[in-house]
Amino acid sequence: MKKINRTYVMGVVFILFALFVFWQTGKIPERLVSNEPGPKLFPYISAIGMIVMAVLSMVIDGRKEAEENQAGAAPYLDSAGWKRLALIFMECVVFCIAMNYIGFWIVSMVGMMMYICTLKSGKKINMVFAIVLSIALGSLCYFGFTRGFAIPLPKGAIWSKLGIKMP
Amino acid sequence: MASYLSALAVLCQPVNFIMMYVCCVVGCVLGAIPGLSGGLGITLILPMTFALNTNLSFAMLVGMYVGGVSGSFIAAVLVGIPGSAASIATCYDGYPMTKKGKAARALTIGITGSFIGTLVSTIVATICSTFIADIALLLGPWEYFSLCLMAITMVIGLSNGSVFKGLLAAFLGLWISCVGADMVTNQLRFTFGNTNLYGGINVICLLMGTFALQQVATSYAKGNLDMPEVEAGSLKGFGLTLKDFTDNLKTILVSLFIGLWIGFLPGMGSGVSNLIAYGQAKKMSRHPEEFGTGIDAGIWATEVSNNAGVGGAIIPMIALGIPGDSTTVLLMSAMTIHGLQAGPMFIKNNPLLANLIFATLLVSAILIFITELFTKRWFPLLLKAPYHYLYSAILVICFLGAYSASTSMFSVYLVLVFGLLGIAMEFFKMPGTPLMLSFILGSKIESYFRMGCSYAKGDMTTFITRPISLAFLLIAVWSVLGPVISKAIKGKKASA
Repeated sequence: MKKINRTYVMGVVFILFALFVFWQTGKIPERLVSNEPGPKLFPYISAIGMIVMAVLSMVIDGRKEAEENQAGAAPYLDSAGWKRLALIFMECVVFCIAMNYIGFWIVSMVGMMMYICTLKSGKKINMVFAIVLSIALGSLCYFGFTRGFAIPLPKGAIWSKLGIKMP
Repeated sequence: MASYLSALAVLCQPVNFIMMYVCCVVGCVLGAIPGLSGGLGITLILPMTFALNTNLSFAMLVGMYVGGVSGSFIAAVLVGIPGSAASIATCYDGYPMTKKGKAARALTIGITGSFIGTLVSTIVATICSTFIADIALLLGPWEYFSLCLMAITMVIGLSNGSVFKGLLAAFLGLWISCVGADMVTNQLRFTFGNTNLYGGINVICLLMGTFALQQVATSYAKGNLDMPEVEAGSLKGFGLTLKDFTDNLKTILVSLFIGLWIGFLPGMGSGVSNLIAYGQAKKMSRHPEEFGTGIDAGIWATEVSNNAGVGGAIIPMIALGIPGDSTTVLLMSAMTIHGLQAGPMFIKNNPLLANLIFATLLVSAILIFITELFTKRWFPLLLKAPYHYLYSAILVICFLGAYSASTSMFSVYLVLVFGLLGIAMEFFKMPGTPLMLSFILGSKIESYFRMGCSYAKGDMTTFITRPISLAFLLIAVWSVLGPVISKAIKGKKASA
């Protein structure tokens, strides 16, 4: 299978992104203050800088990477690695969404357990310890922040709809 | 002096002292475990400091910083894997010494070297920062703009990998810093009608995503969750005499100077200084061929220099408002969060806090020295810490921190976005430090540039007509072009 040249992909992604930044910068309304370059200058500089650096990187680093690929450089991740990356990231997405609806306290305990089960990568773990740790960390974080630091954390939209009052 | 003693008294209040000590130890543990670092610890406790008073917050953060740098040699000595970039060169002689059955000696040199480095550099930082801040007060926005620019380009020039990718990351960081209401005209930039973005991107979200989430996700994906077995042998005893110390005095002094100087240079930190100090120690030695076989001088050089970088990096942060290394970037973020402005006026406006930072560096160094000496025999246990528990806790704290930064779910989702960005950057082999540094300094660069233009009535040439500003700009240009030119010359020589 032919290896992807990561630098070329990076270059294309950043050029497209920089063009988007360029276009969006043009839409910023100008309110000139005398002797002052205005709010558009630095976004323009960053967009132009990204384009120039992406092109230079594609030309110089891209060629080097193509040679390395031909010489048989190891891929960034194998297919199992990509699956692991997708899995852990999806778990994070689920954690964040659930945090809003179910509340931080419950999600932190369940989420911690979920992460432990995923990250153990087939190793044997003491389930009792894992459960105790999840409950302890989740509760410590929740009550530490809400009661100790007086920083409110999500209580969960679902509970208020069901008429259940969470601590 | 009175202010320093007041700061010391504040630090010695039971809560401050205990929390600082706990953070020191946690930092040391995180520093010892490869893949984790004191910087990660600072990122994770940063949101907790919102509700704490500023003195306690900085006692904790600085304690974590000192502990993190100090602990990084443990894995380098015991298993030959550096806890962080600061101890890469420690592996060269530390691990061979362990394999010879002299782990206790290697650890004691590491502990003592770390202590000497932090102690002396802290004393220098305490004395010098006020003078440097006074000189910095004479500079105008033109010089500050050039200085900030120089800090970013120096990081890019010296970071491993491609200069272009480093610059690309820096421009991306600059763009991210532009998001939100413009500071002069109050025009909204790249907010896309989302009110959560009016105040700009929260630094916590960027840190948690590109630093913490990325670290956990990519380590798991790569399967880097296992440590080799530690065969340290006996770890009892001090393993060092006064003669061992005096025999290496020259190496220690030179490494101290290297660490201090490199730490002081904006953007460069202990990751660079340990390698340079090791190279210098080898050059100075009468028996350079013995380096890499497990000799004392190799460990002294790296551990003294990387810890001397602590004091060195604090000087530009406090006196100039420019972070000396990637961890002081985080400390500067903490200052921003606590409504403080690092820079020449910092010591004058906040004498107690400035001295508290110096005092914390000093006390932390002493505490961590004593703790490490007495707990040396349990160091191998640190390296058996199960990653699946550590990383799981980091992920939970990561989202908790993001939410508490703005009490909004938007920040939590932003962590996911920046996590993806961090993973993409790792995939594209783009360095993360230029992104962070240009994000932190981005708004400063823009404001100094616009102030400079405004003061000079629109004349942009002032940036190159003022000699100090010009000097900084020339260094900035050279730090980017220098490595490219020297690579090209080396390539030509090799092909010839």
